[in-house]
Amino acid sequence: MVDQPTVEINGVTKRFAGHTAVRDLDLRVPQGAVYGLLGPNGAGKTTTIRMIMAIIAPDSGSIRLFGQAKRGRELSQKIGYLPEERGLYRKMKVIDLLVFLAQIKGVNWRQARRNAVQWLHLLGLADWVDKKVDDLSKGMQQKVQFISTLQHEPELVILDEPFAGLDPVNTQVMKDIVVELKQRGTTTLFSTHIMEQAEKLCDSVCIIAQGAKVVDGPLGEVKRRHGGNHVIVAVEQGLDSVRGLFNDRTLVEKADSYGQYAEVELAAGGDPQRLLHGLVQSGAHVTRFEIAEPTLNKIFIDLVGPSAATASASEGVGDA
Amino acid sequence: MHKIWVVLRREFIARVRTKWFVLSTVLGPVLMALFVFLPVLMASGGGRERSIAVLDATTTGFGARVTDVLNTGAPITASRMEVELVRLEDVADSLAAAVGVKELDGFLIVTDQTVADGRAEYRGSNAAAQLDMEIMERFVARALLTERLSDLGVDPQKVTQASSIPLNLQTVTIRGGEATEQSGETTFIMAYIMWFLLYMAILLYGVQVLGAVVEEKTTRIVEVLVSSLRPFELLAGKVVGVGAVGLFQLLIWAVTARLLLTQREVLGRMMGLETSAQAFPLPEVPVSTIVVLLVYFVLGYFLYAAMFAAVAAMSSSEAEARQAQAPVTLFYAIPAVVSLMAMLTEPDGALFIALTLIPLSSPISMPGRWVVSDVSLVELIGSVLLLVLGLIIVTWIAGRIYRVGILMYGKRPSPREVIRWVRAA
Repeated sequence: MVDQPTVEINGVTKRFAGHTAVRDLDLRVPQGAVYGLLGPNGAGKTTTIRMIMAIIAPDSGSIRLFGQAKRGRELSQKIGYLPEERGLYRKMKVIDLLVFLAQIKGVNWRQARRNAVQWLHLLGLADWVDKKVDDLSKGMQQKVQFISTLQHEPELVILDEPFAGLDPVNTQVMKDIVVELKQRGTTTLFSTHIMEQAEKLCDSVCIIAQGAKVVDGPLGEVKRRHGGNHVIVAVEQGLDSVRGLFNDRTLVEKADSYGQYAEVELAAGGDPQRLLHGLVQSGAHVTRFEIAEPTLNKIFIDLVGPSAATASASEGVGDA
Repeated sequence: MHKIWVVLRREFIARVRTKWFVLSTVLGPVLMALFVFLPVLMASGGGRERSIAVLDATTTGFGARVTDVLNTGAPITASRMEVELVRLEDVADSLAAAVGVKELDGFLIVTDQTVADGRAEYRGSNAAAQLDMEIMERFVARALLTERLSDLGVDPQKVTQASSIPLNLQTVTIRGGEATEQSGETTFIMAYIMWFLLYMAILLYGVQVLGAVVEEKTTRIVEVLVSSLRPFELLAGKVVGVGAVGLFQLLIWAVTARLLLTQREVLGRMMGLETSAQAFPLPEVPVSTIVVLLVYFVLGYFLYAAMFAAVAAMSSSEAEARQAQAPVTLFYAIPAVVSLMAMLTEPDGALFIALTLIPLSSPISMPGRWVVSDVSLVELIGSVLLLVLGLIIVTWIAGRIYRVGILMYGKRPSPREVIRWVRAA
């Protein structure tokens, strides 16, 4: 089947002692998509991914990969997985480690070695093939970790918080990898709480909060559904001078001021032309007026709530 | 199965390449060589003539008799000093000074009391030397016996004649209803060596499993691993891999030991020791004993490795694991030490027999019992079966704790939580 989703989750629930980490979650990752699993820390992203990988079992519901009811581990040769918590055997040689990690996925030794060497060359680690992992810088270790995820040419790549802890150089490497995977037709599922990255990379997203799905679908559709009446406004005198206009509830539903500019959500039936007219009439010198799609970040904050947004701003706290 | 092999091979190679392995493999034979040659070196260096004074405060001439006996029979040069009882301590003090400057090895104090109730005193620099004191005791006792018998009217000449024939008790171990070549003493030494070897080997390699599991957990690589492997495959590969390193090392040691034993005369000559093979009281080791030793090492190692793995899986850091392993180590050490004591005191007693059947203590105690006494085949098979049963139960529980524990971080789980892990499907 052509339309067979690569990952299909139906009604999955997982409880830990005391709390429900994932509640009745449905999710479909289309083949070849770059799919973002978004949510604040503790939303259940890592738990969901671990269930997809069959590291932990759901309490109820079903998970199908490539249309098969097999567990992630049995299909591990077709899947590349980068866990949120990175780790390598520190005392092993880089090449031995990579070959080992490919072998436990069922790749034979010769093939595994060839792939690993190729990847090390590709990411500029050619001189480090026979060095111990311990001798590598943190950035290089991150690259080795990427290679271990991708070296067996998986059809599905699952990245849990791939950008967490990366330096700017490796962030770019990671982005390039995701784009490259997309071009190759590999299905990529990644989780993040950094909306800017998701917005740049994803075709489809799913936002979850407190273990339950808030919204999902192709990115464009999500944006259309949750917005379409957003206006970016900037005035020379500063936004305080037009505060009165923003408080007119027949015209403006909400105005988020970011200092230099404001993102204005119009009230139902509110006309952008009327807002522009009002701004000009108030004597303000308009420097920017743009009818815009809402940013993913805005949708996220609107849907999940400001409290979650604050949580999402603080990095480094592990997901439940 | 293939994946277990991949894990096993990685574990084996990674471990064999460590400095620890190379060092201990080399040091093992060095220690063994010391074990073989040191007694000979000591024997040739020791056993020299002692020179002592006999401080005689008797009124019966017993002191003279003791001096005589020591000078004629024992490797001791004794000189008698007569002293009045009231001045005894003063003279003793001045003699102590002579011992201090090594003019004397020591001095024996005999009084009339010695004859009456057998109380004598020796003060000397070699007072802690077991062998010297045994010799001294034997000869003083002989003098005492002669003295008392002559008091009763027996001719002292005849008493000396009668008591100068030493007893020579030969001990021969009976196995399978037949006398063996081994003496009781060497049998016992063998049993002790078996006990020690097993105790150290199982503990050392069990703790290595603990370290390996904690390493995977603290470096967080475990999550990558369990996305490709079932936790049981990972655990099995790891435990068997570390065990294979242990067997490999034991094999190296066994081959070196064999060489040391068969070539000991040659090696001894190279070290300048004028000795014959008889000077090394080392027994031949039958194949059956080696088989029993290996079977119990492997099973015992698996039993404790599983426990250590479970403990490691419950801990989030190396420090925590070290703390958490204490109960397991006690669990291990107490039955082991009790069985050693039981083996020493009563190798046929009910306690020791029970310990060789109980799975927790049987891996360490049974091989020792196999050497010291006659174990029936039924008992041996029973003990092995019980051990295998215990192993299955422990592995099942440990595997479940491991499966959940390796992905848990943070605070150490309470016993109730651990029970829930075991129960979880």
